[in-house]
This record gives sequence, structure tokens and C-alpha cells, in this order.
Amino acid sequence: MLDGLAGFASALAGFLKPLPIFIALVSSLVGFVVGALPGLTATMAIALMTTLTLSMPSELALLVLVCTYVGAIYGGSRSAILLNIPGTPASAASCLDGYALAQQGRAGHAMGIATSGSVLGTWIGMFFLALFTPVLGEMALKFQAYEFFWLAVFGVVISGNLTGNDPLKGWMAGFVGLFVATIGQDGLFAHDRFTFGIFDLSGGISLVPALVGAFGFAEVLTVMQEPVRKGIINAFDSVIPRVRDVTQYWRTVIRSGLIGTGIGIVPGVGEDVAAWSSYAAAKRASKEREKFGKGSVEGLMAAETGDNACVPGAMIPVLALAVPGSAPAAVLMAAMLIHGINPGPLIMVENPTFVYQVVAMMFLASVGILIYGLTLTRPLISILQFPKLLIMPVVFVLCVVGSYALAQRMFDVYVMLAFGVIGFFLRKQNFPMAPLVLGIVLGDLLEKNLRRGLVLHDGDLTPFFTRPISFVMFLLVAATVLSNVPFIYNGVARAWRGLTGGLKRSA
Amino acid sequence: MNGPRSHLMNDERPSARADLFAGLAFLAVSIAIVIGSLMMDRLERLQATIYTAPGLVPGILGLMLALMAVLLITRSVRAGALSQSLPAFDPKEYLRLAVSLVLCLGFAIGLVSHGLPFWLGSAIFVALFLIIFQFEERRQQGTVLRGIAFAVVYGLIAGLAIHHLFQDVFLVRLP
Repeated sequence: MLDGLAGFASALAGFLKPLPIFIALVSSLVGFVVGALPGLTATMAIALMTTLTLSMPSELALLVLVCTYVGAIYGGSRSAILLNIPGTPASAASCLDGYALAQQGRAGHAMGIATSGSVLGTWIGMFFLALFTPVLGEMALKFQAYEFFWLAVFGVVISGNLTGNDPLKGWMAGFVGLFVATIGQDGLFAHDRFTFGIFDLSGGISLVPALVGAFGFAEVLTVMQEPVRKGIINAFDSVIPRVRDVTQYWRTVIRSGLIGTGIGIVPGVGEDVAAWSSYAAAKRASKEREKFGKGSVEGLMAAETGDNACVPGAMIPVLALAVPGSAPAAVLMAAMLIHGINPGPLIMVENPTFVYQVVAMMFLASVGILIYGLTLTRPLISILQFPKLLIMPVVFVLCVVGSYALAQRMFDVYVMLAFGVIGFFLRKQNFPMAPLVLGIVLGDLLEKNLRRGLVLHDGDLTPFFTRPISFVMFLLVAATVLSNVPFIYNGVARAWRGLTGGLKRSA
Repeated sequence: MNGPRSHLMNDERPSARADLFAGLAFLAVSIAIVIGSLMMDRLERLQATIYTAPGLVPGILGLMLALMAVLLITRSVRAGALSQSLPAFDPKEYLRLAVSLVLCLGFAIGLVSHGLPFWLGSAIFVALFLIIFQFEERRQQGTVLRGIAFAVVYGLIAGLAIHHLFQDVFLVRLP
């Protein structure tokens, strides 16, 4: 514990210079504004900012991206409260009580709650990021091919199950992502697969252009499909967070922070699920349940604490296992690789201070959102009223630049276009994008380890099911899939009711 | 979904008919993947075994996708996809989408990297985008020429600003 604190203090001291502070404040602001604008997501913001950081030293580049991430997730709450439109999917739960408070003339109070919840959520997540990453990394050192294979399968299955509202479509999206990762030369024999003679496809599909397409171009098409409407902004009171809100609902803050961080750790399950889960748990435990959805301070606090705690949580598997905890974290992981940082189990051996640097970056970002949360209300309202029609063509130009700049080839622009169009139609058909992204990231891990495991035991599948950690992961995957089969789900529910009913009667 | 969101969100789900078409499209693609994987060189001359053959993993993924596509088709048929009539196709509904697509693809494929400076290509794209999508509103207000002038100035500012920011400030090479 003390080692961690010392590591954090030393990393923070390294950033307390004019340039990193300036960069942290500017990037948090960019994230905040992008997150607040409906239609521009955190994933897209980080993907586009990755382009800007190409020529920067790796520490400063990641500082930019982490601050953009935290700022964007917080920024989403502003449009949720003021316009009843979530700026990012993570803020959808904040609309329920945030907008209700705004309609009562308490938008300022709601923004104050969002600020305090987001900052506290980030801090709780930071604590567990520093605590769990080394432990998980050490555990992962014991992983062999079989465990890594199941980790990839588990990531796609759980992400497909929890994102969106149709697990079957979530899994299909995840498996499409896994297949996309197999396009190009295979890792063992450099044999071209599904390249159709296109030379550029031999190198495979790069993650950043695919993400910029699926989250940027697809979003431009989604926004432009409907006539752009102007939102109505309610009057607001003071935005200064009230200590009483935190002291009165401290249990909710801690519970939501824990839930948010926990959901962040689960591969590919992002901030939106964290916010909804925290909100639902707060509602279940609340003494003021009837106020939820009608302007509950506790409900808004839970949602905002949960989604921001998810950000550091999502970084835990990135750093310890090289498995992203959310879609924006997948882009961050790609950016780390571009900047020569190899996340994964060896990070605590090769670069032990890096984890604490990420924690320090999160802290600087939380200070940034606190400052902007208190000061930038009126300018932000002007930005929110800026017509979307003026923003969307510029976003598309940025999508072109963002996909081209990484390797300076037009092929990546065409990949972005293809993923944008396919992503748009998949989204219209209710296929979630997060499992698809996770599939692309985890495809290589899955393939290499499946083939390695099969070769090691000459095709014997037994070790995939008999090694303790593999067996637990297999059970988790099987339970996740089976819990969606109606007769099994209903049978378990009946058995559980019978068991608990019997226990109550005997008591 | 069994999570909390399902109780709290009013997600719009596509019709059973749409699911049926999506399932059929997925089934066709996944069968193509399986066939492609089976026909892929097994590289036996390089001592590749069945476990190291390049087509193994894509083939398994294709089979899994085909299985899930069949499940989606079955589910949609049980939900009455075959008895639902096709919704009336209204081209007006898709006009904005089609125009956006044509403009974006035209810019990325036709204008970029064909000798035109990036800032100018971007300015033309942004200006054209605004002129087209604001035209109806401007026509009703009688401010078409003002709208065009605004779009051109806005496009030039956007194009030059992106060019300067990326190429000169952040040293990123543009197409």
C-alpha cells in the first residue's frame, strides 16, 4: 500500500510542471466539450486525439488521451442535465434525474452533484487502479495459452451480454470483430487470409481507422439521418457542489464507485453499463426510492459516480492483461502500442512506474473536470447551442485525417469508410459496437493461444477445461450463455425461489 | 437483456422482419467465411498440422457466426417475421442519409489525395455540406445567397484551421 502511495506521489511530482499541467487542462477541456456535445463520444474523441499526439513523447501523449477520456465521460452529464440528451452513452442514466432536477429549476444543483460524483468516482477508481493492477498483473503471469484463450472468449461473451439489449446480437457483433482480426497474414506462416489480392489487407485491419469509422463516421450518418433539432435549456442555479449531498449519500458514493470500478474491470463492458448498474443498485438500497426518476439527488450521484469510476476500472485490465475494459480503453490501448508501451502482465516487471503514472494522469484529469465543472457553465451552454449541422462535416474531415495520419495511407481511410457504413447499418439493426471493437482487439490473443494450446497437447482439448483458472473461466462463459436460454433461466429462478421460500418457512 | 438497463431504458428494437433479413445476411456471410476457410491452403508442405492451419480459427468463427445467425432467424420467425408485411419504402425518409453518404464518400474517395490541397478539399466539402442541408430552410427565409456566403467562409475557416492545427502545430502529415 505504502509502495503504491509513494509510486503515485513520485509520478504526480513528475507531472507537476507547467507543460504537463497545461496539457492536462487543455485535454480535459477538449474531452469535456466533446463529451458534452451529443453525437460525439469519448471513443471518437480519443481516437481523433490519438492522431494529434503522434509526434509527442509517450508520457505526454497518454496524458492527453487519459485526460480526454475522463473529461469526455464527465462532459456527457452536461447535455444530459441541460438538454435531456446524453452527451455520451455513459450519461444516459443521468438524464432521468438530472433533467428532472433541471426542470425544477435546479440544473445548477444537478451539475454540482454530477461534478462531485464524477470526481469522487474517479478517485475511488484510481485507488483500485493502483491497488489491483499489480495484483492482477502478478496473477496473469501464471496464465498460459489456455487461460488467455478463455479470457478472450470471456471478454467477447460478457461484453456481448451486457452492452446493448440483445445478447445474441452482442455476441454476433463480438464474433464479427474476432473474425475481422483474422483478416490479413496469419501469425505462424504469414499466409494471406481473406485479402482477395489486396496488398494493403495483408497487414490486417488497423484498430484506429476501424474505430474512427464505427464511432465517428457512423455517428455522423446517424445524426444527419434525422433533421437536426435545437434543444431547450432550462434556467439554472448555483453549480457549486454541496458537501451535504456527499455526506448524506456517502454510502451511495462508495457503492457506486465500487460497482463502477468492478464493471470497468470486466472486459468490454463500459461506462454506460456502470452508470445504469450503479443507478439500479442505489434505487434498490435507497430510502427515497420514490424520488428516483423525478429528480433524485441520490440517483444522479449514483449514475455519475458509477460512470466515472468505470474509467480507471477499465484501465486495470488494459494495464494488467492487455484486454480493454471499455471501447474508449481499447483506443487508449492501441495508442499505448503506437507509442511503444506494451501493456500486459509484464508491465509491472518491465515498467513498474507506468501504472502509477496512469493513476497520476487520472488525478490531474479529475482536477481538470473539477475546475471546469465549477467555472465553465455559461460558455458550455453557448457551445451546446451551436448547431450540429456545423459540427458534423468538420467531424467527418477529422475522421479522414485521424484514419490517414497513423500510417499515411489512403487504405486506412477506406477502412474507416467501410466500418462507418457497416457500423451504421449494424447499429440500426441493434447490434452493439463495443463487442465488435473488443473482438478486433482480442482476436489475435484468441487465435494465437488457441493454436498454441492445441499444438502443445497435439489437439487435446482437455487442458482448456481442466486447469483451475481455465475451468473457472469456462464456467463463467457457459453460465453467461446459458443464463440467456429461457428455460434454463426460468428453471434456475424457480429453483431459487423454492430454496429461499423453503428456508424462510423453516426459519 | 437481464441487466438493469432493460428495466430502465426504452430501447427501440428492430422488427422481427428486420431481424430475419439481418440473420439471413449474417448466415450468407458466415457460410462464405466457412467455405473460404475450408478452401484455404493447409500449408502441409510447410509441416502445418490441422491445428496450425491458417483457416482453422476463421473457420471456427464462421461456424459460430452461422449458428448464431440460424438462432436469430429462428427467433425472428417465431416472433412472426413471415407474417409481417414489408414496411412501405419512403425514399424521402432516406434522402438525408443518402445525401450525407454521397457527400462524405465523394470527399474521402474523390477529393482527398488527388492533387487538391487538403485544406481546399475540406473547405469545398464543408461548404457544400452546409449549402445542401441548409438550402430548404434558407429558401423559406429568403436568405439563400447569405447562406452560401456563410457556408463558403465557414468551410474555408474549418479547412485552414484543421490544416494548420494538424500539419503545422502537431506535425501530422495530411492526405
